[in-house]
Order: sequence, then C-alpha cells, then structure tokens
Amino acid sequence: MHVIGDLSLSLGQAEIVSIVGPSGCGKSTLLNVVSGIIPPDSGEIRWYGEPLAGVPARAGYMLQKDLLLPWRTAIQNVLLGLEIQGVKADAARNRAEIMLDRLGLHGFAASYPSTLSGGMRQRVALARTLVTDPEVMLLDEPFAALDFQSKLLIENDTATLVRAEKRSVLLITHDVEEAVSMSDRVIVLSQRPTRILRVYEIDIPGNRTDMMEARQSPHFTQYVRSIWNDLQSTARP
Amino acid sequence: MNDDASEGQLQRSSLPKNARRARLRARVLARAGIFASQIGLLAVLLWLWESATAHDRQAAFLFGSPSAIFGFLVKMWRDGSLFRDTYVTGVETLLGFLLGNVIGTSIGLSLWYSQSVARVVQPFIIALGSIPIIALAPIMIIWFGTGLMSKVVMATLSVVVVALITSYKGALSVDPDKISLFRTLGATKGQIFHRLVIPSALTDIFAGLRLTVGFALIGAIIGEFMSSSEGLGHAIFKAGSLYNIPKVFAALVATIALALFLTWLVGQLERLLTPWRNVP
Repeated sequence: MHVIGDLSLSLGQAEIVSIVGPSGCGKSTLLNVVSGIIPPDSGEIRWYGEPLAGVPARAGYMLQKDLLLPWRTAIQNVLLGLEIQGVKADAARNRAEIMLDRLGLHGFAASYPSTLSGGMRQRVALARTLVTDPEVMLLDEPFAALDFQSKLLIENDTATLVRAEKRSVLLITHDVEEAVSMSDRVIVLSQRPTRILRVYEIDIPGNRTDMMEARQSPHFTQYVRSIWNDLQSTARP
Repeated sequence: MNDDASEGQLQRSSLPKNARRARLRARVLARAGIFASQIGLLAVLLWLWESATAHDRQAAFLFGSPSAIFGFLVKMWRDGSLFRDTYVTGVETLLGFLLGNVIGTSIGLSLWYSQSVARVVQPFIIALGSIPIIALAPIMIIWFGTGLMSKVVMATLSVVVVALITSYKGALSVDPDKISLFRTLGATKGQIFHRLVIPSALTDIFAGLRLTVGFALIGAIIGEFMSSSEGLGHAIFKAGSLYNIPKVFAALVATIALALFLTWLVGQLERLLTPWRNVP
C-alpha cells in the first residue's frame, strides 16, 4: 500500500522536530521507516549522510505503549538496552540508577511495572531509552496516554534531559500544543498520500524546558492556531 | 520532577494499615466461606449416596457406598498397596509429564525461530495430535515392555503435542512492538528469543503445564490398563474385572488425590518462576 507520498525532511544535531498530521496520514509508518524497522518501498534514509541499512545504531525508540517487560523490575527494564549492548553489569547498573533518580523514580527501582502508575511506567520507558545514550530519539506519541499533569511533567523532564545532552528528537504527535511547546521545528503533514503541508520554525523566547512557560507565550497561541487551521484544511470530512 | 513519584508513594500509602488489614480479613473470610460450602456440598452428596445404598444390597453392590469405599481405602493403606500403587502411577505420570513438556516446549519455542519450518511441520503436528492415545498403547507395550518404560512413553505421548502447541502459540503471541523495540536496541535474534520470547511465552507454557498434568495421568493409566502388574490403573482394572466396585472407587479417590497434588505442584512451580505475577 502506498502510504507516504513525496516528502523529504532532515533532522539536525540537538534539534527537536515534531511531526503532526491528521490521523491515518502515515506518521507512525514514517517513524518505523526512519528507525529501520520497516524498509521503505522507495526513497532513502540517510544517517549522518550515509544511506541507512537496517536499524541505526545509537537511536532510541519510544511509543505510546510503554513496552515494559512485566517480568522485569523497573531497573531491570532500564538495563535491557545496556545488557543487549554488552555493557558490564556494574557500570550498567550505576547508569540505570542515575537515570531512574533523574526521572524522579528513586526508590522504585525494584518495583514491577504492574505496581507503577501510567506516568511512572512511561518514565521507566523514557529512562530505558535515555540510558543507552542515543544520539537520536524517535518518539511516537509517547505521552498520548497520560493525564495532563503527568504529561506536562514528563515533557518538562524529557526536554530538560534531551536539551542538556544535545540529543536530537523526532517526535510524532497528534497533540499540537505538545508539538509547539516541545519543538524547535514543527512539520505538518497532509492527508494521504502524505506530503509536507507546512514547516514552522518555532521561536518561543525563554526557557524551552518549561512547557507551562511556553504556553504563556503569545507566539504559542499563534502557532497552535495556525497549525490547527492547517490540519483542518487537510482533514477529510 | 518528583511530583509523579510522590504521587505514586501517596497512592501506595493512601490505604491506612487497618483498612488494608480489614480488606485482607474480608478476603480470607470469603475464601473460608467458599471452602465451607464446598465441604458442605460434598458431605450432602456423600450422605445421599450412603443413605441410598444403606438398605439396598443390590444398589450397594452396583454403586458401592462411601463407607465401603472408605473401608477399602483404610485396608489399602494398611497393606501398603495404596501408597505403592499411587507412587508407581505418580512416578510414571511425573516422568511422562516432564519428558513430554520438555520435548514439546523445546520444539514449540524453537519453531518461533523459523516461520517456514513451522509451516512445513504444521500438518504433521496436527496429524500427531489427532491420534487417539489409546490406539497407540498396544504398540507401546510391544516396543517398550510391560514395565515402567511403556507407561512413561504413553504419558509423554499424551503430553507432547499439547505442550508443543501451547508453547508455540505463546511464542507467537509476543507483542510485535516489543520485538521492534528489541531490534532498535540492537538485539540479535538469539537475544530476542532468550530475553523476550521465552518469558512472554511462560504464561501459555504454564497454562499448558496445568492442562497436561491430567493428560499425563490419563496416558499412564491407559498404559497400566493394557498391561501392568502395579499402579492405580492396574488396581482399577483388576477390581473392575472382579466386580469390586467400592475398590474401583477407592482407587479413583487415590487417582484424584494424585491429580490434585500434581496440579498443586505445578501451581507452586508457577509461583516460583513467575514472581512478577504475584505482586498484590
């Protein structure tokens, strides 16, 4: 099936780029192609200028589903990527503990996912992604299932950690406010066959790791309204 | 940053200790109530049975009576045959159960590795699974003799296909998004198998284990029916052919007790191997 039409986009170093679009426009397909999980029918993905074959190294992947393994405790879940990469147990454990602490999960390392709240589970998933030290993070509506408060808090933490470590983020979302408040650039996609409708360089002054502060900026409202209009213009009746 | 965490702690301690204790007590009471009802139901059934056969010799001969059955149980206990027969059948069942599940589960899980192999062998597995086990018994007696071995093989055969199918189903039911996650983390197929597929399949494997306890027992007893000199199946067969109905029932009681014990054992094993499912 031809889902994605002609489109081309790039992601710079330490840049947070959001992709919004009407539901069913192929956002997730796009992310799965970029992360090498499904091969593209045509076209090319380049990582650092090199054509991508298979799954790129040093990319982190996170979905709306937390995908935690129920038989592993929080810290064992965080350790998963490091185990697979063959990091020594002591060093790995150390890194995982630090990451859990930074995400406010101190004291929950030994808890099984089934005993944690949705927000905490997604934090464990975020820790699992960050602890492998990815240069690029591919996020597919990671916070969509959370309540507003948990969502804002985890967005703040994500932005803080990602910007401090100069990681690049490709964020797929249907939440326009999330896209504007988190990102440096927002790409609006059209209905299928998917192409790029518009690109917004988000220029919000002040601290970009505070989602509430971003929302108070007058630019914020303008961006949101304009993107909303774009989406409505492409939505199917 | 800590808001979410403290919210979690709040949730945890939001139930005061005595409230939690009260809830626990209510749960224990409810369970005790169910158990008492079960005992009561059993007592009523036994009483009906006993009173219906107490004054009717023909009925007592044809249907036995709880008191006669109990008498035989005591007698079999005294002469040691109760323990001996239960032990023999228990060993046959357990060996067949272990062998069948190890073989079946290994094949079932490893079929995950190759979809094409799985597709090739599928009709053969279904064909094997559709053979009535009892039809194989005479051949197994000829091949493996009238001793322990033929019963173990019978028990193994009744278990192996079920174990294979349940474990393969478990391996296939792994969330494909989790496989994608493993792949983006750079996992090899072996790492995915070891760290994701096997633990994911454990739920189905244990469902299969609980199911196959009974199947192994059936296999062992069919084997004993065909040809044997000891075991519960042998006792049932012999007592039946002598029209000793109470003794048949007495041996059946022992068989049920054995089945319950083995099922309990599997339950304990499951609790031990899947600790994450016991958290409150």
